[in-house]
Amino acid sequence: MSNVTVLPNCPIPSNKTGIAFEAFTQGGEHGTMSQVMAPPWLDVLDETIGACVTHRRPDLEARLREKRAQQLDPKLRVLVVGESKQGKSQLVNALLNAPVCAVGDDITTTVPTFVQHADTPSAALVRNASAGGSIFHTPTERIAVPIDQVTKQAAAQHVVRAEIGIPRALLDSGLVLIDTPGVGDTRSAHTASTFATLMQADAVLMVSDATGELTAAEMTLLKKVMEACPNVTVVVTKIDLVPSWRAVVERNRALLARAGVRAKLIPVSSALRLRAAKTGDQRLNAESGFPELVSCVQSDIVASADLLARRAVAVVASSAITQLVTPLREELTAHDSSRTVATISTLQEAQRRVDELRRRSARWQNVLNDEMADLISDVEYDLRDRTRKILREVDKTYDEADPAIGWDKFEQWLEDNLNEAATTNFAWLMERAEWVAAKVARNFPVYREDLIPGSVLPDDLLEPASKLEKPKIEPFSVPQKLFTGLRGSYGGVLMFGLVTSLAGMPLINVISLGAGALFGGKSILDESDQRLKRRQAAAKAAAQRHVDDFFMKFSKDVRDSGRHIQRSLRNHFSTLAEELQETLLESARSAKRAVQDDQTERERRLREGRKELDRLVTLYKRVQALGGPAMELTA
Amino acid sequence: MTLDRVVWSMLQEALGVYRDSPRATAWLRSHVERYTEPVRIAVAGRSRIGKSTVVNALIGDEFTPQHSFVWYRGGAEPRAHVFSGPGRPHEVAIGRRGSRNHVETGQFDRSDRVVVDWPARTLRDVVLIDTPAEATPEQVLGDADALLYLMRHVQDEDLKFLQSANDHPIARTAAVHTVAVLARADEIGAGRIDALSSAKQIARRYRRDPAVQPLCQNVVSVAGLLAVAAKTLREDEFAALRTLSSLGREELEDHLLSADRFVGEQFPVVMEPAVRQALLERFGIFGVRLITALIRQGFDSQVKLTGQLVQRSGLGELRDSIAVHFSERREVLKARSALLALDVLFRMEPRQNSRKLMADLERVVASAHDFRELRLVAALQSGRTKLPADLQTEALRLVGAEGVAPSARLGFEYEAEPGELREALLDALLRWQAQALDVHASFDHRKAAQIVVRTCEGLLPQFS
Repeated sequence: MSNVTVLPNCPIPSNKTGIAFEAFTQGGEHGTMSQVMAPPWLDVLDETIGACVTHRRPDLEARLREKRAQQLDPKLRVLVVGESKQGKSQLVNALLNAPVCAVGDDITTTVPTFVQHADTPSAALVRNASAGGSIFHTPTERIAVPIDQVTKQAAAQHVVRAEIGIPRALLDSGLVLIDTPGVGDTRSAHTASTFATLMQADAVLMVSDATGELTAAEMTLLKKVMEACPNVTVVVTKIDLVPSWRAVVERNRALLARAGVRAKLIPVSSALRLRAAKTGDQRLNAESGFPELVSCVQSDIVASADLLARRAVAVVASSAITQLVTPLREELTAHDSSRTVATISTLQEAQRRVDELRRRSARWQNVLNDEMADLISDVEYDLRDRTRKILREVDKTYDEADPAIGWDKFEQWLEDNLNEAATTNFAWLMERAEWVAAKVARNFPVYREDLIPGSVLPDDLLEPASKLEKPKIEPFSVPQKLFTGLRGSYGGVLMFGLVTSLAGMPLINVISLGAGALFGGKSILDESDQRLKRRQAAAKAAAQRHVDDFFMKFSKDVRDSGRHIQRSLRNHFSTLAEELQETLLESARSAKRAVQDDQTERERRLREGRKELDRLVTLYKRVQALGGPAMELTA
Repeated sequence: MTLDRVVWSMLQEALGVYRDSPRATAWLRSHVERYTEPVRIAVAGRSRIGKSTVVNALIGDEFTPQHSFVWYRGGAEPRAHVFSGPGRPHEVAIGRRGSRNHVETGQFDRSDRVVVDWPARTLRDVVLIDTPAEATPEQVLGDADALLYLMRHVQDEDLKFLQSANDHPIARTAAVHTVAVLARADEIGAGRIDALSSAKQIARRYRRDPAVQPLCQNVVSVAGLLAVAAKTLREDEFAALRTLSSLGREELEDHLLSADRFVGEQFPVVMEPAVRQALLERFGIFGVRLITALIRQGFDSQVKLTGQLVQRSGLGELRDSIAVHFSERREVLKARSALLALDVLFRMEPRQNSRKLMADLERVVASAHDFRELRLVAALQSGRTKLPADLQTEALRLVGAEGVAPSARLGFEYEAEPGELREALLDALLRWQAQALDVHASFDHRKAAQIVVRTCEGLLPQFS
């Protein structure tokens, strides 16, 4: 209301603050008295506003504040609503016995019309000062117009409402009748302005004509109205037109009862009332049903303004509290579902990964064992193969060569060959070992940068094998040769000497001496040949022994290195696996902890939420106790 | 080929394509049959709006309301059949209840529809379908070619119903099938004696309302009770009303203030309360007021009175509207229903060899001149196509927004000579040809003019 200044936070004397009003009229000390006696609904309303602030709902807060200001306003706004062409404006006219609102057969009322008391009849249009602004919260200006021009000029743009003041006893007590544009008209702006006005209403007269019972649309409207303002009286108009209006009224009562709407239903005829006013016919006035409506307005609305205020506050406050409670309740239930589900699934995931790791670490161990066994046997075979080849070469060489000559060279050669075999073999071992490491890594449950070990080489690798011992080489010395020659020549000299002695020659003669020399030479040759053979055999044996030694030693080394590699690989991987397992277990443990923490946190929040809910429910009960309709709300 | 013949041959062709499907064949046969019938008009609206009353007024006889679909067809003698579930319909008797006819459907408490054959002049051109209030738009429009939608003031709910009636693409293409009726016109003016004329004004306003106009071809106001009274006023009722009107105007007015007063004990003339009650039920308080006023004004014979009532109740206008918008457009309405049916069929049972038919359907919808005219009407009325005001009025008239008869199109209020018509037609043709070639006009403008030219050309052979 632009013409009424209301300080929103200061209770002012009003007929709604019943006691305060009396105190004011008797005592006249309005400042002190009214502050002392604040009506009970004000506390509850303020508390609800507080709750709205706590729950960060400025929208609800604004609504409640508006309601508060409006309830503190001494005026009583009675809204006349209904679908179009039900006789709303005529009802207002008939109530006041004055043609204040224009009536017509087509859509007539286009803006809400406020009819209130004034000492002299006057009218004004209120319109948005700034064109194009919304109908809320824009500065407005009032333009005084003659009463009979209101409707015509109200059709202009930007007119928000019309205000009419007339001197009437009914309006004397601060009653304001608000005629509204019909709801459900094709021009939705009308409907919107009606609903905007609805928020300001202290009581509502819902108008439906007697030509038909309440339609589904009207019932919907009625329920919508009840949500904003519970003090509804249904007025059935035009009963003069309809012979069977009593049946319609009965059906309407049944409809209201079925819908659970507790509203008074009053049948009236505006036409009869206006006619009665014109002719002064009291009987006709009684027939019109208006006396009942007026007394209803007097007793149910004007006289029980306090009750109306309490009820209205009860409805808006409970709707606000319900809106606060709903998300709270949802939060309480959602806690169970959303966050806990997430943490529990993390826990399950962690445990699943630990199991997976265990299952897969058996696999990499198997791979390591198998591969290393293969590797060692392969490497050993390779080594044997290589040493054999060397031995064959040695055999071939010493089948002919004399070890006595160039043994040093041979020794060098053998050493070189064995070294080369060992190196190649060992290189291969290393290569295979790396390959095995890679293969094991592939079979490892997770991939990491440091999965393949930097080095698997044993530190004390390849101690040189024992020196090749030189075979015993018997040199065939000159005296020995002499002796052997003499021994051989002796037989020749004797044999040929005897034969030639038969021929009469002396035992020692040329022939026998020649034969002796021959025999002696042969003996020396034989002897030296035998010696060579022996030397060769000895050399071969020496080489064989050496190679065997080498093989023994080296294969042992290779085995050792293999095992060493295996061990170090196993260590490496098991360390990794342990680390991994530890990580996973840790995450599982932390997930478990999170679940537990969550539970405690949830319980804490649940407790808090419950407390808050209880608080709201208590507040709600207090609101209900103000006299609103009994609605159920439980924690 | 005319639209009528094209659609007929499409129906026959579809019968050939779908001969192996019993369901499709039954569907098509029913539509072939329907194609040759008069226009079916469904009367729909919210409950207690006065659907049966309007139907009764149109037929000129009173029937007791039923809770199912009731079809009124023209017939040589009164007969009634009840269709209930599958199987053959049952013939039932038509009895009397008071002054009303009553179809004895007693044994069938749940009938799908009741078909009444009734000898009435109105039913020669149309079939009227009285629908139950709870019927959905689909149910209402399934069997009907046209719709008479009853309402008081236009409310959102009513618009929703009308919108859903226009929801199908083909239905949108040819929005020709709806006339809105402001029923209970007497109540609009709160029962004042001039209520009907203000109801007529309101109807006129709605006709221009951009929210209503695209959804229906016309808005008329009808006072149902009065319309029925006009057709079925009986001797004894007339006598009673005459007695009433013999009272002094002031005196009578006092007793006509409210329904309660009228049937009350203290009544200045000797007349049984039951008689008064009956009058009230038949004519309503407004009817009694108006009739007594009319008698007092000199319409004191039954014939004179009936003429006045037909005119004043809006029944005459409603009939004209039905004639102009439905009966005269029978071909288009029937073609439209058949095309809708074919579309449904092609959608439900698509076939390889129905492709050609589907293409035909699309072509007919897009190119048939009748539909083009209707689209132009819709475009002009909704403001999608804009013409200068005078041209717009003429274009609307020429493409048949006010009736498809040549004289209606050419704007003759009286029965004109063919020569006169021909002259007017040639004049219009030349003017619109110029419009169609006007390079300064917008594309829409020229396109609209082309359609008008085509219409004029189509009319020409009738006068040569």
